[in-house]
Amino acid sequence: MDFFIQLLTDPIGFYNSHELLVAQMGINAILAISIFVTFYSGQLTLANAGFMAIGAYTTVLLSLYPQWPLPLDMLLGSLLAGAAGVLVGLPVLRLRGVFLAIATIGFVEALLLGVILNVPITGEGQGLKNPTADPLGGIVPILVSIPVLTYLVWRLTRTRLGQAWAAIREDELAASSNGINVPLYKMIAFVIGAILAGYAGALETHINFFVDPTEYGISRTIQILTFAVVGGTSNVLGPIVGAVFLTALPEILRFVRDYRDVINGVILILVIIFRPQGIVGRGGLALIRPRWLHRRGRVRGSPASAL
Amino acid sequence: MGVLLRLSDVIRHFGGVHAVDGVSLEIEEGAIFGLIGPNGAGKTTLVNLVTGYLRTQSGSVRLGTPAGEVELARRPPHAVAGLGVARTFQTLRLYRNLTAVENVLVGMHPRRPDDTLAQLLPLPPLRRGEQERLEEARGLLRRVGLESERDGPRPAWTLSYGDQRRLEVARALALRPRLLILDEPAAGMNPAEKDRVRELIQQLNAEGLTVLLIDHDMRLVMGVCRQIAVLNFGRKIADGSPVKVSSDPAVIEAYLGKEAEKTAAHVPGSEEIDVQAPARAPAAAEPAAPLLEVKELEVAYGAIQAVRSVSFGVAKGEIVALIGANGAGKSTILNTLSGLLRPRAGTARFDRLDLTTASPDRIVRGGLVQVPEGREILARLTVRENLELGAWVRRDGQVVQREIAELMERFPILGQRRNLPAGQLSGGEQQILAIARGLLARPRLLLLDEPSLGLAPQMVDAVFEVIERIHKEGVTVLLVEQNALRALELADRAYVVETGRILLSGTGSALRRNPEVRKAYLGG
Repeated sequence: MDFFIQLLTDPIGFYNSHELLVAQMGINAILAISIFVTFYSGQLTLANAGFMAIGAYTTVLLSLYPQWPLPLDMLLGSLLAGAAGVLVGLPVLRLRGVFLAIATIGFVEALLLGVILNVPITGEGQGLKNPTADPLGGIVPILVSIPVLTYLVWRLTRTRLGQAWAAIREDELAASSNGINVPLYKMIAFVIGAILAGYAGALETHINFFVDPTEYGISRTIQILTFAVVGGTSNVLGPIVGAVFLTALPEILRFVRDYRDVINGVILILVIIFRPQGIVGRGGLALIRPRWLHRRGRVRGSPASAL
Repeated sequence: MGVLLRLSDVIRHFGGVHAVDGVSLEIEEGAIFGLIGPNGAGKTTLVNLVTGYLRTQSGSVRLGTPAGEVELARRPPHAVAGLGVARTFQTLRLYRNLTAVENVLVGMHPRRPDDTLAQLLPLPPLRRGEQERLEEARGLLRRVGLESERDGPRPAWTLSYGDQRRLEVARALALRPRLLILDEPAAGMNPAEKDRVRELIQQLNAEGLTVLLIDHDMRLVMGVCRQIAVLNFGRKIADGSPVKVSSDPAVIEAYLGKEAEKTAAHVPGSEEIDVQAPARAPAAAEPAAPLLEVKELEVAYGAIQAVRSVSFGVAKGEIVALIGANGAGKSTILNTLSGLLRPRAGTARFDRLDLTTASPDRIVRGGLVQVPEGREILARLTVRENLELGAWVRRDGQVVQREIAELMERFPILGQRRNLPAGQLSGGEQQILAIARGLLARPRLLLLDEPSLGLAPQMVDAVFEVIERIHKEGVTVLLVEQNALRALELADRAYVVETGRILLSGTGSALRRNPEVRKAYLGG
């Protein structure tokens, strides 16, 4: 409870004592935006951790060896993740639903086991030291990026492109009958998601002195998926709220340290049962209300509405 | 007026199924062209070939455009749409969670300019088209008779069924198509709604739109189309004006089926009989103490009323047939009797069992067993295993084994193939397996849903022989068939079902001579 009390009574002090947590929330929020884009176009892809790794390693390697300026490293890291997105997307985007999810998990595993843990330049299993990291300065680009990206993605959903995504999500066959080039638009969503994940990876290297290959495995991918599921995917704010909430949860639950994962799991199950549309529903942030309560309310309300 | 769509010798097979087998036809610009044919004739496959959802194996599909003829085969669906070919789907495919207006806006996709940058940095001049598109979308909704503003924005799936059908037409029109393909636009609608669909098609055509209409409702197709092509088993069996097509013997045979060779082939409504036949068959005596008694049964799927106040009975030892065109509600009645669907109103009693509340497994144990449409055998299990599953509800294992052995003897087709996976049997053999499986549940009343569906003529004979035989052995049968003439030949009594109602009833032989039966299938 101290956590909330401090957040409410002393926000500056809270920020100073939880800087790393705030930075992690921000990075997770960007990852959540990345998975939102592919979700919005109806694709269940779990490749984000892989693209994140590409962004992270590229950024650190470029700042270690050619010693290019950091913003350029980050840009190239994100773009390389996007390019990898095209390569991965070409074969796997023909798949749908759970098959697409499995194929993208395969990509994450292949990247980790086949490349990162096998190529000397990435430090293999040892990871990479990143002496140029700047944990305090690194928070600034993160905090600036979130509102900008949120705005851009929100606007994007209203363009011709975003409309095509929504149509594909609702019904691919119908979308192509309306003249929408389904493979192309799916690819665009997939690549934008990859670039955003790569960008999150690049930002993360800037606040850590060490790039740890175990950070980019299946568990990270599943974590990103939970942000979207818990937060809700009908609105870009959903995954962001999910990311912030789930990142803060371990801190809030510190007092039950040993049972943290158990409680985490219970909360996830409760959200799925009682609020399948996520914390942020289509109508925005609504109270958590179980279905049976809703039904009772309607029955009571019906005589009035009949008048 | 030139030819807008020209199909030459289009072929598409799925494995051994000749879904579309060398079809050629021409649709004139400005026409309303009807495409009809019994269930499984290949109509929707043909639409999918034209619109790029399926690849043709050979033949050409050419669309006339202002810049000359363009080959459509091998173009992806979105490219075909971009050339001005819009379609609706037989099973509704709306964007369920988008509003009606949003659905129509998506339909404008090919002609909406790319506005990504303009939307990202909200620049008013670049966004001007938005308001106009919104106005146009609302106009299209009003055009098809959908007042979307009436109850505010709400997801499309909450609209009534008829409104959803209309919305699909509006969405297709948003493309400003040159050819509009309507795949069963009136399916599941009541007569008044069908009239509105007919009016809409005629209005759109009067404004210059070419329409390709696929529907089972002969009244609708015969009413609006000047040109009709009839498909059966993937081939075009007739084309021409409605009058010509509806009197074509090949068409009548495709829809009503053919009587077995042994009896004189008379077609209901053919002249010499027409004169004497009463307009309405005298209602056959309803059984006094029926084994199955259905009273004022009403069944609905959401907003679609599939069965309206249907009453009938089956006495012990009878074969009773329910006949009628596709979509009339026959299978719905059977599925309600076996407890798979629950009626909205009415009663259905089998002996002392209330079928409207009893669970499906209780109904099977009570002796009412359904052999479902499409056979539903388990393709990967062997013939023997399929039969053993048919006796699932029984506890007397040894007797079951003996009965299976007997069945194998009675139906040598099954005996010879006892260890083959059932999926390797032909369609007719699978049907016999499905019936044998039904028999193992020891039915007192066997419900057979479309046993001849999709079967070649010799197999139809074999299946009907089996039905006749089990009936002689004392099983009461309720038969649902599209192949009306064969069913009437076999049945003691029959009921003609049309749009969820019982239109006629009578003895099999009386109905066989009744011209009204033909009308129920082919329209008046």
